[in-house]
Amino acid sequence: MAPSRRFIVALVVAFSSALLAAASAAAQQVGTATAVNPLSESTPPGGATAPLVVGAHIVHKEKVHTTPAGTVQLLFTDKSTMSIAPNTDIVIDEYVYDPNANSGHMLVSLTKGALRFVGGQLSHQGEASITTSAANIGIRGGTVTVVQGPNGVKVINVSGIIKIVNGAGTFLITRSDFGALIQGWNTPIHDLGRIPTADVAFYQAHTTSTFGENGGVPGFKGANIGHCGLGSVPSANCPQVPWMPSDGGQLDASQILGNATNFGAGQITPPPPPPRRNPGR
Amino acid sequence: MAPALLLVVSCLPAESQTTSDLLNPLFQGILAQPANFNNALQYATQAPASDIESAISTYEQLLFYNPNLASVRFELGVLYYRLGSYEMARSYFDSALKMKDITPALRQRSEDLIADIDKKLQPDQFSGYVQSGFRYQTNAALGPAAGTVLASGKIFNNTFAARPDGNWFGAFGLNYVHDYEQQNGNTFEASAVGYDAQQFKLHQFDIGVMELRAGPRFGIMSDTVTGLSIKPYFVATGATLADAAYYGGLGGGLTAHIKLGDASLDPYAEIVQQSFRNLTLYPLASGMNGTLSTVGLQASGPVYGSLGFQSRVTYAHADATFNPFGYNAYADDVWLPWNFSPLGDGRTWTLTPTAGVSWWQYNAPDPTINPFTTPDILEWRLGLGLEVPIWKLLYLGMLAQYRADVSNVSAFSMHDFSVTAGPTMRF
Repeated sequence: MAPSRRFIVALVVAFSSALLAAASAAAQQVGTATAVNPLSESTPPGGATAPLVVGAHIVHKEKVHTTPAGTVQLLFTDKSTMSIAPNTDIVIDEYVYDPNANSGHMLVSLTKGALRFVGGQLSHQGEASITTSAANIGIRGGTVTVVQGPNGVKVINVSGIIKIVNGAGTFLITRSDFGALIQGWNTPIHDLGRIPTADVAFYQAHTTSTFGENGGVPGFKGANIGHCGLGSVPSANCPQVPWMPSDGGQLDASQILGNATNFGAGQITPPPPPPRRNPGR
Repeated sequence: MAPALLLVVSCLPAESQTTSDLLNPLFQGILAQPANFNNALQYATQAPASDIESAISTYEQLLFYNPNLASVRFELGVLYYRLGSYEMARSYFDSALKMKDITPALRQRSEDLIADIDKKLQPDQFSGYVQSGFRYQTNAALGPAAGTVLASGKIFNNTFAARPDGNWFGAFGLNYVHDYEQQNGNTFEASAVGYDAQQFKLHQFDIGVMELRAGPRFGIMSDTVTGLSIKPYFVATGATLADAAYYGGLGGGLTAHIKLGDASLDPYAEIVQQSFRNLTLYPLASGMNGTLSTVGLQASGPVYGSLGFQSRVTYAHADATFNPFGYNAYADDVWLPWNFSPLGDGRTWTLTPTAGVSWWQYNAPDPTINPFTTPDILEWRLGLGLEVPIWKLLYLGMLAQYRADVSNVSAFSMHDFSVTAGPTMRF
């Protein structure tokens, strides 16, 4: 009897441990690798470094590394995404998201390279941050490109409000396409103003596939996508060269003329001129 | 402990979650099987109306899978344009033009939007229109029917009674913006609107109007709210009537600009000192001298599909030297521009139904018209405009309008139907 009881207890303990371990592993999944160009690697906490593949679960504290040829897109459960350029190292330091309360926070370390972060629920609440060697970058409601290079950290605000904090102070980028450069933790944050088109295009091109790559998913040949690019009817959501009424002057003129007719004019027909006297009478 | 619990919650089945996107099987599908690009495509095409960033994320995912598709790059350009990131939008439109699969229509739209972005990215930005053409009116005077009997028993002056006539007209609108390239988006803005019409027969109604507005715009609360600004401005207006100087107005105002998603709101308040000059044909005009105070709200945005709207609601109070000429007026105008491309070449035609209503309540009876009744005028305006692209910036503009004034004083009742046509250049 006793061995049997010990066996049952051992079984229960083993099963419970396995369940807890599985729950813990599942709980730590914070996102998915949605596109991967080799060679990109990841290192889960306590695990070995392995090539990253499409569909791989990204977990809390995971390190992601791209080689000089690798690029990756990560999708998080709050709908934010991160497009990671070649030669980049990041760590998902913290990620908490409660979908019921729609709250939480995320913190990602960028130690080398470049990434573009497209905001989701957490950034809309100002709860997404990227930390670098030179500054902490808080993202509110937006999209940002961050580059950790040899000359410091460059931040390009794509949309939203970006709050940069380091040992020398705080700086806000509130305007799209504007940027800042931070050369060290105790160096004042330098306002770069509007970022040149060529720089924006450079980082855009380096955070996606190059020609010939397929992000690990072959076979996408295109489709009738969206409602702006194809079809004969452009939507009002699609940007148009702004239309403005061209009857503004005419409306003003009609208003003035209407009032002139109603009030400015002598509205009563002038009396006819008096008849001439007959000089002969 | 709490964070761990929250993470567990995030992994619960979709049925137990309340956030709509987590209930969205398409989003769940991307998380579970990102390689199913048909699912991603469906999610992306559904997302833009409410969630630009989700659409961007998904189209960028598709761009990873195939970087050769002009349509994906164009769509991303559109989405970044809507976010206000014109540099990102431009880089995507530029790259779309380099793709081998770009269609003529997509090329045209990309080039149009690049041209628009290039203007937006200049420190000095100009936009506007120039128009000329002919107009025919059934009631060029905007006056009552001929032979209208006044309360005094006298006959309304036939010089100003309803009669048809045509005219040649020229019109322009010019907007200028100087961007100081500062984080808060401060700008200096100026606009000018002009109109001149020369009647074929009834030269007492030849009229010219020019209005200038200018002022600095300040971005405010830019650290917490995007797209909020205020602008103090001055306004100057001049008009000629019957080829003589007739009216001048000088004043100022304050307006704000508020972005709500894709819609814009521009409330404003302004005061203008009006000065009228008596002319031989308009001997009583100076009685209208006084202050015109206006508060209003202009709004614009998308309605559905390719249908947009612009509207203006105003309340105006006019003081006048001669009290019966003073009034309170309420007005509302709506334009519904609908863009379509019937030839499928990417060039946009715009059909614009318009409607408006105004209600004037005058201060006191006009003793020369009707000494016993304080005038009250309700005006209805309906119109239909069409702009057809001809060549590059050149359009053919056509507008048909009906206007009817109904008043408790017969001299103020009138109706007019007009048709306008002519070339329009937009830039």
